[in-house]
Amino acid sequence: MLECRSCGAGAPVDEHFCPSCSRILALARHGDYFSFLGVERHLNLDLQDLERRFRDLSRKFHPDYYYNASPSERLASLERSSYLNDAYRALRNPVSRIEHLLAIEGLPPAKSEGAASGSGHSTPQPPATLLEEVFALNEELDEIRELRESGADGEMLRARLDSARKPIERKRDEHEEQLRVLSGQWDALPSDAAPEQKKRTLEALRERLLERNYINNLLASIERELAGFGLSTLGSGAESQEPDAQSR
Amino acid sequence: MSKVVGIDLGTTNSLVAYVRDGMPVVIRDASGDALVPSVVSLGEDATLFVGREAQRRLLTAPSRTVYSVKRFMGRGIEDVTDEAKMLPFSVSGEAGGVVRIGVAGRELTPPEISAFVLRELKHRAEEHFRQEGEFDFEVDRAVITVPAYFNDAQRTATRDAGRLAGLEVLRIINEPTAASLAYGLDRKNRGTIAVYDLGGGTFDISILKVEDGVFQVLSTNGDTHLGGDDIDRLLMLLVLREMEIGGSVAGASTKPDAPYNETADAPAEFIQSIRKAVIQAKWDLSDLEETDIEIPPSAAAPRGYRRHITRREFEALIQPLVDRTLEPVRQALSDAGLLPKDIDEVVLVGGSTRIPLVRRMVEGLFERPPHSDLNPDEVVALGAAVQADILVSGRREMLLLDVTPLSLGIETMGGVVSKIILRNSTIPASGREMFTTGVDNQTAVDIHVLQGERELADDCRSLARFRLRGIPPMPAGLPRIEVRFQIDANGILSVSATELRTAIEQAIEVKPSYGLTEQEVERMLIESFEHAEADFDARLLIDARNEAESVIHATEKSLRRPDFSVIAEELQPGELQRIDEGLAALKDAIGGSDREQIHQRTHALNHATQHLAEVIMNRSVREALAGKNVQDV
Repeated sequence: MLECRSCGAGAPVDEHFCPSCSRILALARHGDYFSFLGVERHLNLDLQDLERRFRDLSRKFHPDYYYNASPSERLASLERSSYLNDAYRALRNPVSRIEHLLAIEGLPPAKSEGAASGSGHSTPQPPATLLEEVFALNEELDEIRELRESGADGEMLRARLDSARKPIERKRDEHEEQLRVLSGQWDALPSDAAPEQKKRTLEALRERLLERNYINNLLASIERELAGFGLSTLGSGAESQEPDAQSR
Repeated sequence: MSKVVGIDLGTTNSLVAYVRDGMPVVIRDASGDALVPSVVSLGEDATLFVGREAQRRLLTAPSRTVYSVKRFMGRGIEDVTDEAKMLPFSVSGEAGGVVRIGVAGRELTPPEISAFVLRELKHRAEEHFRQEGEFDFEVDRAVITVPAYFNDAQRTATRDAGRLAGLEVLRIINEPTAASLAYGLDRKNRGTIAVYDLGGGTFDISILKVEDGVFQVLSTNGDTHLGGDDIDRLLMLLVLREMEIGGSVAGASTKPDAPYNETADAPAEFIQSIRKAVIQAKWDLSDLEETDIEIPPSAAAPRGYRRHITRREFEALIQPLVDRTLEPVRQALSDAGLLPKDIDEVVLVGGSTRIPLVRRMVEGLFERPPHSDLNPDEVVALGAAVQADILVSGRREMLLLDVTPLSLGIETMGGVVSKIILRNSTIPASGREMFTTGVDNQTAVDIHVLQGERELADDCRSLARFRLRGIPPMPAGLPRIEVRFQIDANGILSVSATELRTAIEQAIEVKPSYGLTEQEVERMLIESFEHAEADFDARLLIDARNEAESVIHATEKSLRRPDFSVIAEELQPGELQRIDEGLAALKDAIGGSDREQIHQRTHALNHATQHLAEVIMNRSVREALAGKNVQDV
């Protein structure tokens, strides 16, 4: 329940404007991007619909339109706009959409902790399902580094790195396919599905997601290796490491 | 109701616009000129000159005249050492603090100098509204534009400049986005737009998606130190080299480290005359295939200098600079998840996009001819006026959704940056980070806020250091302090914090790394009120001088007419002598600062030339009638 700071009336948490005085409501602690944007808690979203909702709400919240309003409305406009921007950014990307779903369903993906704890940069253990590939890749990378130091031909090294990348890329494609299948499963669950059934799907999603992130880190390390040769490969998967990469 | 305006505060030129009957228009002076050169000069008697007047003084009083100050906004001395070498004024400051610029014995910060330019624009707008017969002509609110790639410190410095000029800054908006607003007015279409903005000192690229009147920026990139200034500098170096004068422009000389104003063999006046000549040649080459760089004889170069230059030569010289715009364009496209072919329209902004090489390159890159139907010098101010109108009128047809150009983060252990708000996030944007204590009963935590894309704090821009105080004493690790970072619609950061266990709001002390503290701004405001009267007098003096100059100009023009000998026959005895005397007396007076004397002598010269003007007019009428007769026959 929210309380309108303008007229004191109460309002449901997903309302943006006070039902009794129609002024913009202050944003209480709101955790659910799906309900904020008024869409179902699904993993396959109509991106055009999402974008239209984002534009419509932007037109309602944006600080530009509250320039002459009271300080509390101005603050509410700033908070709601910021939250809307965060929500849209998180939901339009399929990976961050899954992460958000996991978080609000009570299964937060293991994310690096905050700054003061200083644990931000530890490398996680490779997932068991990937041990074989990771082992082979690391061996190949070591060998390539040695060859490079002994002055081997750049083109040849590049070719070897390219072929070392192939199996990892295949793994990533597999994972993305599995994520798609699991997303479909989640969306197909009836709203009264048993909690255990929900949990199973979510845990599978989390598992695949963690592995996928690990795979992307591996691909990034190959990319860095190539950059070390001055052989950057543009395009081939490098973009998908951007945290907000568009899904295409 | 007082007036609101949009201001383009440029590196080279600034201008002001407003919305009249739903359409934005730029405000021009009596001669139709919209551009106010961003140049400030202090006279011997502390008279302040801004704009054209100050620009003229670049040649006569270069050590008392400053320009391109935008390049120093929000920066520290360690950032600008290289740049300072190419400028004829002294730049100082403590490491890790605000830059100070020495002008005629005064030490001024970049926001203070920019405030002089803003005040000139405010005055120009008020003069315009007064002449329009507005009852309340005061201009007290403005939207001011900045390069999209400006960081937090540079934006804050711009906002401070506005305050110092007596303006409430309604909003800081990005130049390319402002330009797109101006273009979007009459074409309310949808599509993806790339705005390529190469100005006097900065380069921006922004990719926007326009739909239903919402202008959503997808990504932005740029270089805040790339523009027409750098092109001028290349040409100046070429000339200096060829003249075999060991001048030090930008350090590429025989004495690379000699600060500019200590280089005895290239006096400031001389360098300014070279600068003026190469800028003219640069302009010529936008229309012509070849031209001459001409420098008049002076003490430093008694024979003067003349050099032929072709457009081909010029393009070869500046190609590396133009190429530097390509990487930001690629990055912006990649961040937007787009390819060049996905762009529906390309808009050119900034004076440097008049250069044919730049146009060709942009056209080649996007495989379509760019739009340039609006004047590239004026389009940013027009867009700023539109935004100002949206803010005060509550009109909702259009909405600008911009992004923050650089990631925001905080320093963590080991000097690594932890990103909290990523670049190209739509603003307003917020981020949260949890902190705790490392020692039992610790009551304060220091936080270092940075902006940039690099991994290490040392490679990013330091924005501010914060100290969280008043944390309730607890065992180490127990407090849960949530720090909230809020980037507002201006792209400017604010920070707040709460200890979650006790819900105690934390006090935060801010020390901006490269900005003015609130107290400094307050003090400058008080000083500017104290100076206001002197400034007002200075303004009247400038107006008097301008009027005198135009009378002198008109008189001299008449005296130089090819048919003057015929006209002179109609004058009375002694009349010509009186005109000559009046002319000399007025020229003498405008060198001084006695406003009353200038007024009197302007009036006297006007009086002395009244009959001459009549004679000339009658003659013109006779000629016109005679011509008509001939045709009629």
